[in-house]
Amino acid sequence: MAQITLVEAVNLALARAMADDERVVVLGQDVGRNGGVFRATLGLFDRFGGERVIDTPLAEALIAGMAIGMAAEGLKPVAEIQFSGFAYTVIDQILNHAGRLRHRTQGRLSCPMVLRTPCGAGIHPPEHHSESPEAMFAHIPGIRVVYPSSPRRAYGLLLAAIRDPDPVVFLEPTRLYRLFKEEVADSGEALPLDQCMTLREGTDVTLVTWGAMVFDTLQAADELAEQGVMAEVIDCVTLKPLDLDTILASVARTGRCVIVSEAPRTAGFANEIAAGLAEHGLLTLLAPVMRVTAPDIVVPYAKLEHHYLPGQRQIVAAVRKTLEFA
Amino acid sequence: MKLFKLPDLGEGLQEAEIVKWHVAVGDEVAVDQPLVSVETAKAIVDVPAPYAGKIARLFGGEHAIAHVGAPLVGFEGAGEDTGTVVGKVETGGKTMADAPLAASPLAHGIKATPAVRAQARKLDVDLAMVTPTGADGLITAADVQRAARILAELGPQEVLRGVRRAMAQSMTLAHAEVASATIMDDADIDAWAPDEKVTLRLIRAIVAACKAEPGLNAWFDGQALGRRLLKQIDLGVAVDTPDGLLVPVLRGLEHRAPAEIEPALTKLVEDTRARRVPPEDLRANTITLSNFGTIAGRYASPIIVPPTVAIVGAGRVRKEVVVADDQPAVHRVLPLSLTFDHRAVTGGEAGRFLGALIADLQSPR
Amino acid sequence: MTVAASFEIPYLQCLDAHGQPVGALPAWAQDTAALVPLYRWMQRMRAYDAKAIALQRTGQLGTYASLLGKEAVEAGIGAAMRPEDVFLCTYRENGAQLMRGVSMRELFLYWGGDERGNRFERPIHDFPICVTIASQCLHAAGVAYALKFKREPRVAVCTLGDGASSKGDFYEALNAAGAWQLPLVIVLTNNQWAISVPRNAQSATQTLAQKGIAGGVPGLQVDGNDVIAVRQAIGEAIETARAGSGPTLIEAMTYRLSDHTTADDASRYRPAEELAEAWQREPIARLRGYLVAQGAWDKAQEDALLKAVNEEVQAAAQAYLDTPPPPVSQMFDHHYATLPAALAAQREEWLAGADGTDHPR
Repeated sequence: MAQITLVEAVNLALARAMADDERVVVLGQDVGRNGGVFRATLGLFDRFGGERVIDTPLAEALIAGMAIGMAAEGLKPVAEIQFSGFAYTVIDQILNHAGRLRHRTQGRLSCPMVLRTPCGAGIHPPEHHSESPEAMFAHIPGIRVVYPSSPRRAYGLLLAAIRDPDPVVFLEPTRLYRLFKEEVADSGEALPLDQCMTLREGTDVTLVTWGAMVFDTLQAADELAEQGVMAEVIDCVTLKPLDLDTILASVARTGRCVIVSEAPRTAGFANEIAAGLAEHGLLTLLAPVMRVTAPDIVVPYAKLEHHYLPGQRQIVAAVRKTLEFA
Repeated sequence: MKLFKLPDLGEGLQEAEIVKWHVAVGDEVAVDQPLVSVETAKAIVDVPAPYAGKIARLFGGEHAIAHVGAPLVGFEGAGEDTGTVVGKVETGGKTMADAPLAASPLAHGIKATPAVRAQARKLDVDLAMVTPTGADGLITAADVQRAARILAELGPQEVLRGVRRAMAQSMTLAHAEVASATIMDDADIDAWAPDEKVTLRLIRAIVAACKAEPGLNAWFDGQALGRRLLKQIDLGVAVDTPDGLLVPVLRGLEHRAPAEIEPALTKLVEDTRARRVPPEDLRANTITLSNFGTIAGRYASPIIVPPTVAIVGAGRVRKEVVVADDQPAVHRVLPLSLTFDHRAVTGGEAGRFLGALIADLQSPR
Repeated sequence: MTVAASFEIPYLQCLDAHGQPVGALPAWAQDTAALVPLYRWMQRMRAYDAKAIALQRTGQLGTYASLLGKEAVEAGIGAAMRPEDVFLCTYRENGAQLMRGVSMRELFLYWGGDERGNRFERPIHDFPICVTIASQCLHAAGVAYALKFKREPRVAVCTLGDGASSKGDFYEALNAAGAWQLPLVIVLTNNQWAISVPRNAQSATQTLAQKGIAGGVPGLQVDGNDVIAVRQAIGEAIETARAGSGPTLIEAMTYRLSDHTTADDASRYRPAEELAEAWQREPIARLRGYLVAQGAWDKAQEDALLKAVNEEVQAAAQAYLDTPPPPVSQMFDHHYATLPAALAAQREEWLAGADGTDHPR
């Protein structure tokens, strides 16, 4: 069993899926000979050939649109959009077609495709490479949105996504691609979709988060633990459909909730959780639900990026505020 | 140009040969007027005008083939515009006129979270009774629990209702607003006939004092800082009833004959005790008399209820050693307290009023 | 300067506007009897189309996009494709869809606003009508890739209009088809109008077929009102693709004799003279003229056909009108292979008609 990074876990899952099922194909820009700009598809071209690991022309709509046609004809395409900033082009294909195909043919055709893209800020890149589009995708009917936060979760969830008969948008946290390693067995075992994962148990406050912020949230939980505050940490993992029950059950025990997201505040995915708590968990709340998010601004260039991204400090401060409420 | 296309000829027929035109360019036609005769595989058919209008163009001469769905006749004018290429966008007839309201300021009532409110409901605690200890007036769960414990130990408190409630409310208001000051003195009433009635004499004396110092028979508006000196003297007479303190009003004392006053007063007090006095006779007095001496007490500083500016308090008549003609003597004295609203009445005015009051009371009749 | 590359766009016409052969007809068309089925199909399509318009006018169908005038393009596609091929079309190819085995009732259901119309009993691999302009080209490229990948002797055929040829999606698909030599035939119906925008305002190219050159895809123009030419060109292109020799772009020149949709009024933007003149070149009369001249068609056959077609269309319309309305649950059905719990809860809520006041939790 190897200790691997998140992006290596993606690679491992892709290799596994392609070995197990000859219908699985990978397509995207630079995914073949180059192994992907982040090396997510490293080695696949040599192992499975250019027909199954397809270097596409530079055309995002093509990548997503072709995946739809391929999926309808029985292949299991895993399309890569090189950066989430370019993923907005494919919203048309995902929203207008992938998410609709099964429903508008009343089940006659379906679209078992996966669209992978690296998301999130923190790698000090040029502009447009730091986007958090999860709320926009989560708003689309007929698809799943999955966002792993660790190598093991990336491996198991990508396998699940590829095996799922419906379209999955698989968002990968760029900042965590190589930040730490974990032991991941190449067992071929998928992790369950549509379920939150509780990473830490606690009694004083529930921290809900996803993607790269899981890392900072766990560190915040450690700091809080040293101060005697036991925080429960929930990784949403599948944003759509959201497993609200796990979050409600946790807040029923702790009475306090802080939602952590690196996306801009307005209409962000944190709102979905806050609304769910207000609607179904109101009487369990001892304090207002807090959100730790980025401000409603364009991601700044690299020099100010670290001021933009929320981090451990803001999470701990938010927890303090919620504890002091009453 | 409005295009009229050859309509469905029935039975799936797609085209027809133009046999004869019945109209020409420039003609005004009526609806249903035959435009052209066409020959289908089956018969010769007249095509009627679908609407009235002026012919602008005829498509095809005699013997030309007209196709179903193809332009047949052009009418002058423009066709009806659906204003869309998909669906149907409704045109409503109404004109709406609405303006957004100005934002109203944020109002905070009782501050408690939903969980705390639910708990209060469950424990049957009225949140209005709970003293908040949370930040910024927030009622905490502990506050609710504390209130519940107190209620359990002490039993429920009596919630004031009716007259008692009104008294609590008006006294709170008065206390907040009025700048009261009191002058006290005694009237030597030894010269009175034995059957003199204290209340009637007080009423007469107040009327006299109002005439001497009109400033105490007035209404004062503390917001606008305005004063109304009133010609009418409507005296509120404090009456103690089982329900609480009521102050019915004897109206128009400035012009009423002295003989009227006693029967009027007697009736007023009876009606008050029987709760028969209508609401309009319990308000709008210009000055007040509290003859608490009928029960006990000498001097007092009774509460002035705005907008009035003065209240006369009379204590219990007593025998006292006084100085008369430089010699000690035992006389009957009536203790008097004049409380006035110092926002509207000066000390001098009050003093002169009291002086006039005492002078009238001290006269034998 | 020398020439780096030069290209030619061939133009194919077999019957001129008067129904006269232009040179020798393709071999298969020389047997006039082989042309009769094409004629019958075109009349069926036109009758279906007229019925759809009539249903819309009487409030029994939603907005409908007529195919009046392009019946030859439809018939050419429908006749050239094999059942196992895959068709990805726009909203104006109902005619070819009928030839592929989609029923009139299914088409009426679609336009009437019922997803069951896309459930196609017969051409189960065909995509449903694509409303968003040119996206179907990308899907077709994906389908073609899959067919090639699976080594199946099947071809993807997609259609689009002159307006759609301005879209990025069209070009991206074309480019990929050329780069990978996909088994894809793209039939571009140039009916001269994209709603109110005439062809010459749409693009500065001399032909739209030459846009294929930009992707390395051979392009040709055909007279889209000449069903023989259309059938010939598409047939060749499909067999080229089937043989693994790559994609073709065919521009079929025709004219939109109808408004853009039943809600549009084309007299707002195009001259009545132009429309009336275009009727002179319409495809059904043209083929009929030829068939009659060849002695392969007569009035009795025409009457019988129109009668039969009319009955068929009436029956299909009735079958559509008799279809019970979809259940409310159909809104939720088939969004996922298995309805996720949160969505199942919403489904319950909606079916209870409680509109949010009863919470399933």
